[in-house]
Amino acid sequence: MSDSTETDENNKYNPGENQDDLILQQHRKIEKEISESIALIGNKEALSSLESEYSDDDIYRQKVQDLSNKYKSVRRTRPDGNCFFRAFAFAYLESLLDNQQEFAKFKDTKNCSIRGGVNLGFPQFTLEDFHDTFMEVVNVVGNGPSACDELYKLFNNSGYSDYVVVYLRLIASGQLQKEAEFYQNFIEGCRSVLDFCHQEVEPMFKESDHIHIIALSSALNVGVRVRYMDRGDSSEVIAHDFPEGSKVAVHLLYRPGHYDILYPSTS
Amino acid sequence: MAGSALRRLMAEYKQLTLNPPDGIIAGPINEENFFEWEALITGPDGTCFEGGVFPAKLIFPPDYPLSPPKMQFTCEMFHPNIYSDGRVCISILHAPGDDPMGYESSAERWSPVQSVEKILLSVVSMLAEPNDESGANVDAAKMWREDREEFNRIAQRIVRKTLGIPT
Repeated sequence: MSDSTETDENNKYNPGENQDDLILQQHRKIEKEISESIALIGNKEALSSLESEYSDDDIYRQKVQDLSNKYKSVRRTRPDGNCFFRAFAFAYLESLLDNQQEFAKFKDTKNCSIRGGVNLGFPQFTLEDFHDTFMEVVNVVGNGPSACDELYKLFNNSGYSDYVVVYLRLIASGQLQKEAEFYQNFIEGCRSVLDFCHQEVEPMFKESDHIHIIALSSALNVGVRVRYMDRGDSSEVIAHDFPEGSKVAVHLLYRPGHYDILYPSTS
Repeated sequence: MAGSALRRLMAEYKQLTLNPPDGIIAGPINEENFFEWEALITGPDGTCFEGGVFPAKLIFPPDYPLSPPKMQFTCEMFHPNIYSDGRVCISILHAPGDDPMGYESSAERWSPVQSVEKILLSVVSMLAEPNDESGANVDAAKMWREDREEFNRIAQRIVRKTLGIPT
């Protein structure tokens, strides 16, 4: 990521410059490079496209092998800290394209009404904007399987895509706050659930952990299966379902720090 | 992207015009450009900034409200949390993680549900209660701690200046 034209001279510490600004500038630059090279939601690729990433890594190669027995394709997402929420939203809405009955049920849920959002305790005024954009995207699903391209385009338009992410973050935050007593047990340090929501859930670009996944999947009542691909000993790629025992609608691949979408072989 | 930012800024402007918080006026400098605002902030009662009317500029990024605006006073200011060039340094203007300043972990941060109004109210409380731990202006932070009388004198001079009264 480093700029090879930069000389040592430019990297010298200059006490006159604002170091905070320099650090932020560098962050922006890295983010810009990522956003220019990776789409928010990518095209569906054969699962074998993962193999090429690990040609000289036996552990991972074995795991890709295991994965390819269960899944036929993968869709990559941009690693910008929002990948879980974006992957979840796209994968779920995409699955509803072929399942209009489930879609009708989903649209009836409280999270799809603005009342539900206000009940989460957010100011109506700032919430409305996100809710309306979220619903605009959700409504596209009503056009059935032919709307897949449109959904894909909307998810690659940051004006829509990021607003969907914000709205899901608010739903997750609302769920955490509603069941604060339960979720408090999973928060490290002495932060309150509310502080955690303000610092780790509601702001954009903050990465997701188990707790975000449990909160969102329980709030929407949508089952998520996450396949964890790491350096662990097992030759199998371990799966966790959230909430436990639910009917799985969304399959995600987790590699340390990042979520992509998986498509099972059977469906 | 900028379309949703514009829609949101117009809505916030309308909201602030219909229900202005006490002692705060804010809006676009020019209605042709909603991404640059001017705000007038009244110094809070019972503080050394009482009676002053402080002008500031707010610059919004194209992806507002995903990212926060920047705020800068355009009058002379002397305050621990304001850089000497007028830039305001408080936690709500930063997303978590975006703060090499090291704010307290419980401090309020930027998120898309925050608003211009919330920022301006935070700035009013910052004027009333400086945070001398985060020193955007180290001299001001030191004087606030060690020589409150002199700090108050400087603040009063700035107040008179903003009102156009000879100092």
